[in-house]
Amino acid sequence: MNLCDFRNFTIRNYQDLFARGELSPRELLSIFLQRIREVDPLLHAFLFVNEEGAFARAQELEEKGKDKDTRPPLWGIPVAIKDNICTLGIPTTCASRILEGYVPPYNATAVERLEAAGAIVLGKTNMDEFAMGSSTENSAYGPTRNPFDLRRVPGGSSGGSAAALAALEVPLALGSDTGGSVRQPAAFCGIVGLRPTYGRVSRYGLVSFASSLDQIGPMARTVADTITLFEIISGRDERDSTCAPYPPFSRTEIPHKEEVRKMVVGLPREYFSGGVDSRIVRAIEEVLKGLEGEGLTIREVSLPHTNYALEAYYIVAPSEASSNLARYDGVLYGLREGGAGSLQDMYFKTRTSGFGVEVKRRILLGTYSLSSGYYDAYYLRGMKVRTLVRQDFEKAFEECHVLITPVSPVFPFFFGERTKDPYEMYLADVFTIPSAMAGIPALSLNCGYVDGLPVGLQIIAGPFQEGMLFGLALFLEEMLALPLPFPEIGQ
Amino acid sequence: MSGRVSLEEVRKIAQLAKLSFSEEELTQFFQDISNIIAHFEKLRELDLEHVSPTSHISWSQPPMNPDEPVCWQGSDLVLEHAPHVAGRYFIVPKVVEKEEKLS
Repeated sequence: MNLCDFRNFTIRNYQDLFARGELSPRELLSIFLQRIREVDPLLHAFLFVNEEGAFARAQELEEKGKDKDTRPPLWGIPVAIKDNICTLGIPTTCASRILEGYVPPYNATAVERLEAAGAIVLGKTNMDEFAMGSSTENSAYGPTRNPFDLRRVPGGSSGGSAAALAALEVPLALGSDTGGSVRQPAAFCGIVGLRPTYGRVSRYGLVSFASSLDQIGPMARTVADTITLFEIISGRDERDSTCAPYPPFSRTEIPHKEEVRKMVVGLPREYFSGGVDSRIVRAIEEVLKGLEGEGLTIREVSLPHTNYALEAYYIVAPSEASSNLARYDGVLYGLREGGAGSLQDMYFKTRTSGFGVEVKRRILLGTYSLSSGYYDAYYLRGMKVRTLVRQDFEKAFEECHVLITPVSPVFPFFFGERTKDPYEMYLADVFTIPSAMAGIPALSLNCGYVDGLPVGLQIIAGPFQEGMLFGLALFLEEMLALPLPFPEIGQ
Repeated sequence: MSGRVSLEEVRKIAQLAKLSFSEEELTQFFQDISNIIAHFEKLRELDLEHVSPTSHISWSQPPMNPDEPVCWQGSDLVLEHAPHVAGRYFIVPKVVEKEEKLS
């Protein structure tokens, strides 16, 4: 067995090889570790590779899992975890200096559930510091590169997870999505990423950025694997009071092919107007033609407040962040500087030297929006616009089952292309922010390549309608029959 | 909505956020934040008077949990990774700085 054999694999294929005794978890791990050694010096998708721990775990699984009929669904499958999700005994830095060397004393619920399902934590993936960014250029440990073109960004903030999947360094990964951080990098790297309904996956152990928006999301190379991951990590958790009191997602919620053919797909006209690369619009229009040919109904709809969502988000998210990040004070964990001086000295020195520029910018922005005299003008206004954005979607879903839009208005950009003007970078999330603000699920799927770069298509559904997303995504995946990514790294 | 922020305001919010900057850095942040806030002006186009704010999205009734204490076993690990501890205590700089008269 070698890596090329795995190019079109899903979890099922690995499990079949395990069951037939043709591959062992330790052998599989060795193949992925070899791949990481070869390509990660170029990509920098990982901040930490858990080589020793992963081998010990694989051995333990092999010893306990001799009876192949009782093996849990992810038995022996390596998974990469974004570095803002707590992993017991494994460093979790959020790609920030302020958490350098921090080793969590507990697992996030999502990680706990993955391990209970037999998965092996292979490592922690790179990201924009505290998930604030759209390119991984804000990582304190250096950016991740796009496997399709090393001169370009992989998207962000879950860029490490997306790049690792595209380069086949790992078959499964977790990301987190506050305003698009799972979907945009998935689009830039040609893989699948889901932002679940707010409350469908526990946030326990996800380091807080903007609590009313943050969600952990599954990322994988195929829709089938994304579904498997989602079944495992979703469902009620008493340790997160915002987690919905429902059972985990079940694939029985996914409509059959014949039901998909009866779907009405809404096209929000605001997502196809000026500012979107025409090649992206063309690629998506091609797909829509295909869907129409298969019997689906395509209907234009309007989400009139789309163009206000971005501004409202950049009020709401930094406001919540400025409050959440107040905890980094040098007292309990992470970096401490100036401990020999006064308490105030310690606060200032720790935070000033621990946070990067974008994080400081957002803390300042959030502190400003929440400060006395400006609260009504900014934060309150942002929250009101959020209501309108949510109502837009509710109205649209009265006349269609799902919406299709581009994930990003642009192709993966070059390093440095958008770093000069922070607002330029913020615009990268213009199509992923509205659904995040409304707390509804959305999935990013590769729908083709233009000049060797993937194009991401976004499917959006109503709350708890992930089944609809998966039904249409499986349908599209089969209809498009695109090769799964396996780019020549460094060519 | 004023739509304008002053350098002095940015200096003040930096203090509130416990961040210190050189004059050069402060000027840069002032410019960045002024530019970003200028975009927020767009929200003035909307009539929001009768719109209720959404602070938190919850598509389901928040669950009620039984009020039962649970003992967490990880406190040793917490102390192990703390920046400065003595025994089972976190050490911080002196909090009370001036001698105060007790009345």
